[in-house]
Amino acid sequence: MASNTLYILLCSGEHEKVQMAAMMASVGAVSERPVEVFVSMNAVLAFEKGAPADKRYRGGAFSKLLTEKKAPDPLTLFRQGRELGDLKMWACSMALDVLGWELDKLEDGLFDEALGLTKFLSDAETGQFITL
Amino acid sequence: MAKETIDARGAFCPGPLMELIAKLKLVNVGDEIEILSSDKGSANDIPEWVKKVHHEMVGVTQQDGYWSIVVRKAK
Repeated sequence: MASNTLYILLCSGEHEKVQMAAMMASVGAVSERPVEVFVSMNAVLAFEKGAPADKRYRGGAFSKLLTEKKAPDPLTLFRQGRELGDLKMWACSMALDVLGWELDKLEDGLFDEALGLTKFLSDAETGQFITL
Repeated sequence: MAKETIDARGAFCPGPLMELIAKLKLVNVGDEIEILSSDKGSANDIPEWVKKVHHEMVGVTQQDGYWSIVVRKAK
């Protein structure tokens, strides 16, 4: 039986939460489970094209550990999930409007399109929904 | 049958799994991949992943400070 889709709503720009979203999205996608990630609010800032590594995420004690121990970078994990599995990523169109950004302001190769929350919620009705 | 080794020691979860999957895409059915991992979580998670996606586990061996995990591409 095919797995139902995992929908992840990522709103936080905290390093720990972006890391967890990237881990769930990438591992889920390579485990023959479709995954869709909707990125909104502060999380959008973590995907700004060309942001310096030390400015990309905000975080607490665990963020320091992730950096010190050289845990896989969330953006790398999202890219691997897209390359190796069935992972779609959407940038919240409302958040982009508020920022005055177009999709090309975000890191290349990560997002399928800008999408509205209404469409994402509608698609997510039949799957498992997680918010971070 | 070919056998290749990936040295993923020092990488944290899910790094070793991702390296394994990327390599599996490149080899032929029946080939074996040995992945060396110092991450205990990966030593448990990789066999779970192999079972979930229907490849074959050849074995997991604990070495001095790391694990040797051997997987056969089944499809």
